[in-house]
Amino acid sequence: MKKFLVLLLAFAMVFSLAACGGTEPAPDDDGEPVAEGYEIAMITDIGSIDDKSFNQGTWEGIVAYAEENGITHKYYKPTEQTTDAYLASIQLAVEGGAKVVVTPGFLFEEPIFIAQDMYEDVNFILIDGNPHNADYTEFRTNDNAVGIVYAEEESGYLAGYAAVKDGYTKLGFMGGMAVPAVVRFGYGFAQGAEAAAAELGIPSIELKYHYTGNFDATPETQTLATSWYAEGVEVIFACGGLVGNSVMSAAEASGAAVIGVDVDQSSESETVITSAMKGLAASVQSALEAYYAGNFPGGEALVYGAAQDGVQLPMETSKFENFTQADYDAVFADLVAGNIKLVKDTDASGKEMTLNDLGLSIVKATLVE
Amino acid sequence: MSILYLVVQQTMFFSIPLLIVALGGVFTERSGVTNIALDGMMIMGAFTSIFFINQMQSTMSGQLLLLIAILIAVVTGVVFSLLHAYASVNMKSDQIISGTALNLFAPAFAIYVARMIQENGVQQITFSNTFRISSVPVLGDIPILGGLLFKNAYITTYIGLLILVISVIVLYKTRFGLRLRACGEHPHAADSVGINVYRMRYAGVMISGGLAGLGGLVFVIPTSTQFNATVSGYGFLALAVMIFGQWKPMRVLFAAFFFGLMKTIASAYSVIPFLSTAQIPSDVYKMIPFIATLIVLAFSSKSSQAPRAVAVPYDKGSR
Repeated sequence: MKKFLVLLLAFAMVFSLAACGGTEPAPDDDGEPVAEGYEIAMITDIGSIDDKSFNQGTWEGIVAYAEENGITHKYYKPTEQTTDAYLASIQLAVEGGAKVVVTPGFLFEEPIFIAQDMYEDVNFILIDGNPHNADYTEFRTNDNAVGIVYAEEESGYLAGYAAVKDGYTKLGFMGGMAVPAVVRFGYGFAQGAEAAAAELGIPSIELKYHYTGNFDATPETQTLATSWYAEGVEVIFACGGLVGNSVMSAAEASGAAVIGVDVDQSSESETVITSAMKGLAASVQSALEAYYAGNFPGGEALVYGAAQDGVQLPMETSKFENFTQADYDAVFADLVAGNIKLVKDTDASGKEMTLNDLGLSIVKATLVE
Repeated sequence: MSILYLVVQQTMFFSIPLLIVALGGVFTERSGVTNIALDGMMIMGAFTSIFFINQMQSTMSGQLLLLIAILIAVVTGVVFSLLHAYASVNMKSDQIISGTALNLFAPAFAIYVARMIQENGVQQITFSNTFRISSVPVLGDIPILGGLLFKNAYITTYIGLLILVISVIVLYKTRFGLRLRACGEHPHAADSVGINVYRMRYAGVMISGGLAGLGGLVFVIPTSTQFNATVSGYGFLALAVMIFGQWKPMRVLFAAFFFGLMKTIASAYSVIPFLSTAQIPSDVYKMIPFIATLIVLAFSSKSSQAPRAVAVPYDKGSR
């Protein structure tokens, strides 16, 4: 009997480990299982396929394109967040018949740098980054790879601009980890608020600025958000995966507002007034279209901003009172025309920018450690 | 003043789940079985009860739904803890191994099952929070005290405090409590006077499972709008609270509030007037409860209050 129990426990542990780390196949894979396997493969980044953010947005783009054209597709979940594990997943995908591998997240920059040489007849679409080696000394994108980054600062700019135009004067920014994409969102948000305040002649805007250091929903984040709301913050731009859920929970209790990120998050809580979106699905689809049309933009580093429909606010689901579609169209057109120059996370020489470099005069930004 | 209210209200969100789960830990350890699977049991309890809320929230809402969810969380925790009880009482296995297995199993199970049974196939279970009491009738209007304790509260806060009172009574004022404690101190002596040690230890583990399951639900409700198969390691934190509280319910209460207050300050210090200018990094506040636990352990290890027979499987034949 004791042996039986030992066995049972051993199985329980093995099972749970396997379930934690195993490569999970797509649950709703409608592609016909054909001999050559799955043509379009996606490797997930930190977080699951249904993170309501990066992975999900990318996957939705793949599914939409693949189902329309009857192409087999599948996603692979790496066992851990290391270059080796990512490479192992890529190998798995290639052995599974992948012709195009889509990888969302800047953490894939190094794995793709290696993989583009290993699998020369496989094409790689890297979302949110460009391939480089481990110590950033060599940036190279081969002809079988393409790097797509988004102008997050433009998306954040739209959100900040809209919030101030709508009448909010006390703002908060709560990012996940201070990774480049998140920093760009935050800096754009501050600059958008500044621009709108200057137009409206508002003398002062308060902005609290914080990175939680993770992408999880935690009581700590909820408490911090509640304390901000209690102190008078009217809207928080929650920029980091599940961090948003804790902020929404705080906003529901405080009767305040939240701005979502990456995808339209209005369905998750009544408190979401708008979302600073990236056109993840659209850009993945256009890259896949280009590949199947035979003009894959290999070797290029694409930047999707307003001009390429890479950023937007979901105006249909937004809960604005004073900020109108016409206002949105006007500011969006300005971005498209390139009339607005924004400070990003780094300047042209690669020097990291801080909040003080944004040239804010109306917006009083306080960095909360 | 409103900041003081805020700190107290938020402290409750941290402290009450810690208190409930740590009390569960007290029961199991006092019976002589260590239970490091509290974290896994929290996850299981939260998983079933949040899923229940997810399914039923279209037809019912408010306190009744929450109360039924609480029952479900408790039952789930009890059932799940039976695995641990069987392994550690009947099979005399290493209780740390068994607890580790359950801790590994719970989140994987929650993710797997959530994906299987939810129509959209995702691992997160969303719920809408209709349980917050913005102000308790009558009591909420009391000056100061009403703002501290009876506004922006959850019914679970009062249930947690009630559990504390019941725990004190059960452990120290009933025959059951005396027998339970005897089994944790010297099971052979207890057996020699006719107490069924196995049954007592089963009871201790099941109580801990039930309370941990409840704690999982209480933890998730105020802090998010969805359950993602994790309780952020609060089950382990509750173990620290239990040790900091030296296995005594009233001290556990103190420890839970101390941990909760420090967690709140670490998160919200930027709006607390005298702390926001003090220039102390938030990491310091985050470390304080753990440093305090280490200090308490260092000074109290000679006269440690840990039950003597904890983590030692009871074998009638051994001497």
